[in-house]
Amino acid sequence: MTFFSKRIAILCATVFLSTLVASQTFRTCASEDRAVTFNRDLAPIVFRTCAPCHHPGEAGPFSLLTYGDVKSHARQIADVTQKRIMPPWLPESGEWKFNDDLHLSPEEIALFRKWVEEGMPEGAASDLSPAPQFNSGWHLGQPDLILHADSSFEVPASGSDVYWNFIFRLPDKKTRWVKAIEIRPGERRLVHHANLIVDRSQSSRRQEKSPGSGFPGMELQIESETFDPDGHFLFWKPGTIPVPEPRDMALRLDPGNDLVLNAHLQPAGKAEKIQPAIGIYFTSEPATKFPLLLQLENDRKLDIPAGEKDFVVTDEFKLPEAVSLLAIYPHAHYLCRDMLAQTKFPNGETKTLLHISRWDLNWQAVFTYTAPINLPAGTTISMRYSYDNSDANPANPNTPPQRVVAGNRASDEMAHLWLQVLPRSSASDAQGPRRVLQEAIARHHVENNPDDFEANYNLAALLQARGEFAQSVLHYQRALALRPGDATVENALGGAFFAAGDLSQAIVHLSVATKSRPEYFDSQYNLGLALATSGQFPQAVEHLRAAVNLRPQDADAEANLGGALAAAGEIKEAILHLRRALELDPQHKLARENLDSILKDSPNP
Amino acid sequence: MLSRNNHAARIRLAAALLACSAASSAAAQTAFTLEGKPLNPFPGPPGKPIVLIFVRTDCPISNRYAPALRNLFDSTYHLLATFWLVYPDKKTTPQQIRTHVRDFKFGIAALRDPNHVLVKRAGATITPEAAVFDSSGNLLYRGRIDNLYADAGRSRTAATTHELKDAIESAIYGKTPMPASAPAVGCYISDLE
Repeated sequence: MTFFSKRIAILCATVFLSTLVASQTFRTCASEDRAVTFNRDLAPIVFRTCAPCHHPGEAGPFSLLTYGDVKSHARQIADVTQKRIMPPWLPESGEWKFNDDLHLSPEEIALFRKWVEEGMPEGAASDLSPAPQFNSGWHLGQPDLILHADSSFEVPASGSDVYWNFIFRLPDKKTRWVKAIEIRPGERRLVHHANLIVDRSQSSRRQEKSPGSGFPGMELQIESETFDPDGHFLFWKPGTIPVPEPRDMALRLDPGNDLVLNAHLQPAGKAEKIQPAIGIYFTSEPATKFPLLLQLENDRKLDIPAGEKDFVVTDEFKLPEAVSLLAIYPHAHYLCRDMLAQTKFPNGETKTLLHISRWDLNWQAVFTYTAPINLPAGTTISMRYSYDNSDANPANPNTPPQRVVAGNRASDEMAHLWLQVLPRSSASDAQGPRRVLQEAIARHHVENNPDDFEANYNLAALLQARGEFAQSVLHYQRALALRPGDATVENALGGAFFAAGDLSQAIVHLSVATKSRPEYFDSQYNLGLALATSGQFPQAVEHLRAAVNLRPQDADAEANLGGALAAAGEIKEAILHLRRALELDPQHKLARENLDSILKDSPNP
Repeated sequence: MLSRNNHAARIRLAAALLACSAASSAAAQTAFTLEGKPLNPFPGPPGKPIVLIFVRTDCPISNRYAPALRNLFDSTYHLLATFWLVYPDKKTTPQQIRTHVRDFKFGIAALRDPNHVLVKRAGATITPEAAVFDSSGNLLYRGRIDNLYADAGRSRTAATTHELKDAIESAIYGKTPMPASAPAVGCYISDLE
């Protein structure tokens, strides 16, 4: 009631200011005690903030599209809006606005309560705005490519939340640019949210018991590509309408890439199967702008004693380059209560990027700013998360509370803040600032977690790409010490030695990689190349042949196998593979040169 | 003759109307089976507590409780107490209830309570909410099934208190349940009026 009175007072003042000649009768606000009606007052709020999920086929357990629908849940709606449980919207209102903001003002919330108290009048039919129309098919029209999960997953009738991963294997044989992906997770009442992640190395497939079976797990670790290398959030939550990427920011998908859907599922009283699908919309325009995902985190500091009510974890990162901040994605598990992300500008001014005072994992989301926020070089971004590990936190997964540390399970915790930024690169150097940012954030992670495998591996890979071989070898070796014999690191380390010209060390590490994982294409190919470069052609042929068997559509592997065979004196077979390389890629320069050279030397082999 | 016949017919008609009115009045005081027959669960068989569980087909929280209720019923309690699933929404048809009971595998006999006779007797305000009576129909416990939900939309990983189970056990042993009530979380029955 207090809020309502306040609202009327403000409304009166506004009307008075804008209509100075209004009559005294109007200014005393005859409508102060005006009945709240569904058609005039509530329908616009319900249609905007409830109906997107509460309509047939969507996640809401009942429809909220008509007066009757809303009336039969009226007290419940008044209650859950008052408690800010619905509509689900985590951020507090702040200086910067987000797209699809579902936040209700105190005045809007008071309307629901008053309507119930007044007997829920429907109001005049002429006051009712048209109910929103929802598309039951693909929101953006027929996709260019529709992929279905290979197998369904049965969500049990009861128990705690379930996390399941579905792998979508891309059939494309060439690089494609994606302007939009629509995620259709299946029975929406069961899916709380889902993240789609690009797996460029097919590393998730190794977690499946059988191809296409999918696999459990709350958090995904994608080898070599930590989250999404191109910097796109592909996120689904109930009510999501897919938004195409800006024209110049298409997502690249290469042949052999997998898309992994990490779905958070909630039992709903009866066992039900879900089989998600994704629809992909391609564009012929390659990206010219490359956003980047920066992650602040401090999982190492997460060691929360049982019963601790306010355990604080912080991290901060100083931007070495100017960026535009596009979106923000906070992530923690069940103990986190309060999240604060701030930015301190070079002039010392501090502003809040995001504040969530009642974190609820179930309603996590990517929040996209309505307009990009310009952050100059030298700006410091900080995060401060607070955790409640007492029994006063109903979401606490442990009864009684237990000590909790960082980890991937639902009963572990996390302290992550992802920022989608667009480096403000110059026309002459589109990738330079991006690389500087990537390396800075990778170095930041190594400083935070000197003994973290991924942090060292990622920094090493970035240093290697920049030609800093000595430093990259150092961090690869640190990663290897943390995970001895890891085929991915052995392959990368071999590659670093190869690039530095140390062929014997390269062959040592690549051999370890191929022995530990014979089906690893990269290591077979690299070892074949290193052996060929050192003149060991028969051995090179063996490994390049293995590479070709693993990936028969790879023109480079065919061309190099042809080259190695020719050098080993196997001319007839060399010609076969060089021709095959040219079939796969008619412009393949190496295959063309080698084939021409062979045919010139031995025109009738 | 004609006049007498007409009179007799009028008398019979009035009697029929009266009977109809009496039946309607009695029906308003009972719940109904899914076949439409009036059914009053009180009193129950001597010594057997009566458990009413108020549910709604479109309430996600009462749906989520289906497996827990089934487990409770499947335990030995169904031999020692009489369970009824009570649907207070007058708009829900018997066929919709049958489908709901089957889909969610409740396994508990269902009653329609369109006139909220049982709702009032139990003092129930929420779905899901349970009421435990002694066999004579004296209310012993009313409230939540357990504390899985701290609030609508905020559930625990698993319940840590089990008020309904405890209340049934107390009633079976002839004790007074403690607590006698606990606030339920879910959908308001008053929204159905």
